[in-house]
Amino acid sequence: MSERRVAVCGGGIFRPDIWRGECAEEGVAIAYRDMLKSIPGFDPADVDVLMMSYFSDHLNQQLCMGWIIQDYLGFHNKPGYRVEAGGSTSLDAIANAYFMIKSGMFDVILVPGWEWMSEVDTATTNMMIASAADTDWDFTVGGYYNAYYASLEVRHMQLYGETCEDLGRIAVKNHNAATHNPYSQWRMEHGTAYITLDDYWKSKLVCWPYRTLNNALISEGAACLLLAAEDKVKRYTDNPMWITGVGLGTDSMRPGDRLVDFPFSSFRDKAAIYPDFVKRPKTPYPEMANFGSMHAAALRAYAQAGITDPLKEIDVAELFTPYDGVELCFYEDLGFCGRGQGKNVVREGLCEYGGELPVSMSGGLTAQGHPVGATGLYQTIFLYYQLAGKAKTKYGQNALQVKNARRAMVTGHGGTACQGGVIIFEKD
Amino acid sequence: MDKKNMKDSAPGKTVSKESAPKKYTNYPTVIDHSTEVQKEWAPWVRQGLWDIKGYRVVKGPAGGGTIDESKKNLKEFMVIDRTEASLYSHSYGLVSPFFLGLLEGKLKGTKCPNCGTVYCPPRAHCWNPECRMTETEWIDMPLRGIIHTFTVQCLAAAPFEHILPFSLGWVQVEGADTAICTMLHIPYHDLFIGQKVNLKFRPKAERKGDLMDMYAVAVPGQKVPKWAVLQSDEKQLNRLDEATAATTEFIKKRYGLDNSKRGW
Ligand SMILES: [Zn+2]
Repeated sequence: MSERRVAVCGGGIFRPDIWRGECAEEGVAIAYRDMLKSIPGFDPADVDVLMMSYFSDHLNQQLCMGWIIQDYLGFHNKPGYRVEAGGSTSLDAIANAYFMIKSGMFDVILVPGWEWMSEVDTATTNMMIASAADTDWDFTVGGYYNAYYASLEVRHMQLYGETCEDLGRIAVKNHNAATHNPYSQWRMEHGTAYITLDDYWKSKLVCWPYRTLNNALISEGAACLLLAAEDKVKRYTDNPMWITGVGLGTDSMRPGDRLVDFPFSSFRDKAAIYPDFVKRPKTPYPEMANFGSMHAAALRAYAQAGITDPLKEIDVAELFTPYDGVELCFYEDLGFCGRGQGKNVVREGLCEYGGELPVSMSGGLTAQGHPVGATGLYQTIFLYYQLAGKAKTKYGQNALQVKNARRAMVTGHGGTACQGGVIIFEKD
Repeated sequence: MDKKNMKDSAPGKTVSKESAPKKYTNYPTVIDHSTEVQKEWAPWVRQGLWDIKGYRVVKGPAGGGTIDESKKNLKEFMVIDRTEASLYSHSYGLVSPFFLGLLEGKLKGTKCPNCGTVYCPPRAHCWNPECRMTETEWIDMPLRGIIHTFTVQCLAAAPFEHILPFSLGWVQVEGADTAICTMLHIPYHDLFIGQKVNLKFRPKAERKGDLMDMYAVAVPGQKVPKWAVLQSDEKQLNRLDEATAATTEFIKKRYGLDNSKRGW
């Protein structure tokens, strides 16, 4: 592995919405144009590889859509790869681009990402997404990710005592943040007025305890990201966002199997924190309450970046949280607090704007939007402008710029955290 | 090979025994089949084949930039409606005995002869890294277990929408080290983690050999413990009552089904 550093040099946005008239290749092209505008020093001839980030084939009846994108952008003599990892798709695309540049094999990689999710009706989109669950064993019962995630959250609530109100607080935080984001789906749908817990209680119950405001949006949208090796970075930006840690992890396909999760049997000492009023499974972490793949990924990324106290040492984070209980559990699995303490992070406002570590100030999956292959790219672009200290140049005067942000984190995960990843970014 | 099934294996076409392609001769023989589904669904699959059925012209925000910029940039788009349908013939593989067991009203699991881990759902090979993919052995599981976790659904994906509202969860079957996803026919006012359940099967004629053949009911006489996460918050319980009532109304309107009469 080469010693040279790798940086995110900028990106472009085609904003997510419940429906976009443009088709995928046009949306990606518009995002790419947006990137070209912000990186005048960029020459398409510099690109060594296209790393394409998209999740589904069956949502659009099109196999190999990556070829259409490569063709449409005019890169059809360059190497091109498709990365697919469920919800972790865009995180994994960035990670793989990083590995390739870090290896010394390539210098400049363009990462286009997209998803067009409204060609079938919403209930069918949900069915098609749920076919990423085990179709023999889990999908057959209820066939709905929301129900699986709700069940995981109920287990966590029972063990550690967070309340529905805690989940509401996270929903309010992320939606209100999204009103500052002029690309967010929530602002398009709702406008710029803040919501309160009262509004949260009025939103429709989906699967207890989750209400619609706790859930990821269904979106169509695209984004582009540019990654380059250290010696090429200067051509593109004065504000490179260096990648200083990349950690990936996986867990069982079926969450019910995590009661005897052998590869996690050595993870943490769980004895002291496991309540005694419910039956203790053979391997108490992560079982069906927490997300072991994310914990494993975080440990790997933190080790590379030299982080020992993430809550203090990271300044701003964009977490991949399709449901708000996931955000609360991630506070624990990513080491912001101990297991079972996620509720305290919520109640003390540690991850709100102005708190110790603001989380998902873009609005995240539930309010900015969630066209799967583009989601992590939107979040990474948001962090790029945060670390550059230039949030308002991209997101307008009211942007939620975190003061003096030097170190950032983005995460991704797919399935019921069957696969997860963490990337740490730093500025000079 | 069963003549009828030979035909079935080529949907939409009539294949006589004589003209059947030679490459099928080494294929396994169908020794039992529940329906003539391939024949029945052939016309439907043809009907739903990739085909353009119509179009609409719609006008909406377009282009790049922010919300405000694209609201000023309205364009017309042509939107086509096209279909796609398939019939998948999927093997349950080495764990087929589990699903055949469901048809007989039996619950089966597997046990690793090396480390003793009991799997329900079954695995044909032990996933304990120390066991190096040891082949497991079939065992009969008792029709009892405890609820590991649950939810109450007021929205669902397309195939399950008409049975809303309902509860599902994961049950750790007695003797198993893992938990299995199943429907919970337990009114949510009584439902809690750790609750003892009996596993039941739908009437034999309705079984399909999938997990929906089975459901859990509460072992009678259990009191909801004080710490139970749903019942300890009366406000939440009331909100859930309102939500399930609204869901029942929605299903009545949309599908003409009165799920309030079916019991939970
Ligand atoms: Zn074993």
